[in-house]
Amino acid sequence: MERDMMDLSFQEKSLWLMFVSLIGSFGFYFTSVLPTQGVNLMPHQVVLFVLAIVLLVLMQVVGQIVIALVNRRTETDERDRLIELKGSRNGAYVLATGVFLTLCAALVTEGNFAFTHILLGFWVLAQLVEIGSQLFLYRRGA
Amino acid sequence: MGKSTGLITNNIRALRFHCGEMTQQELADRVGVTRQTVNAIEGNKYSPSLEVAFRITRVFDVPLERTFQYREEVRAE
Repeated sequence: MERDMMDLSFQEKSLWLMFVSLIGSFGFYFTSVLPTQGVNLMPHQVVLFVLAIVLLVLMQVVGQIVIALVNRRTETDERDRLIELKGSRNGAYVLATGVFLTLCAALVTEGNFAFTHILLGFWVLAQLVEIGSQLFLYRRGA
Repeated sequence: MGKSTGLITNNIRALRFHCGEMTQQELADRVGVTRQTVNAIEGNKYSPSLEVAFRITRVFDVPLERTFQYREEVRAE
């Protein structure tokens, strides 16, 4: 198991960084905003959203620099591209479902709070499914 | 009518051994793929494209059939 973790490619490490930083930044946002449900988005919630984006960008920049310093960057090949395509397809299913459910929510709820957060939640979920699929496929082989 | 499934196997590990104990990284560099891809191909977890398959056989200078084998299994439904 320890050897497997050491055997991660540059692409896998980048994906793990994206996975963790997405959970960290949007976990922070949703745990801060969702307990205070309202009809419409409040200004301080927009500020929290901007903070989450800044946190995501910071984690990405710092993390990518560290990964690039520690690892030799390798070119992607046909297997990387296949894994990326399969991951994107899985993420697209989740995002399409999310868009449909968001439209349903827009019809039955007032204001923009539910609409915005269902859409944002499914976008984050779609990203996590896409990245998670890729990480799974890298470990399985393809 | 049975359902047929195929399995592509290979002798890359043995061919590397007989080619001066070539490492996966050396083979990957010569073929133009990552070491992880060579590892996945060797472990029969990933079937390469025809182009990569031909490039691998060119490195070892052997026919394609000596490097890759295709076994078809027919299962009765």
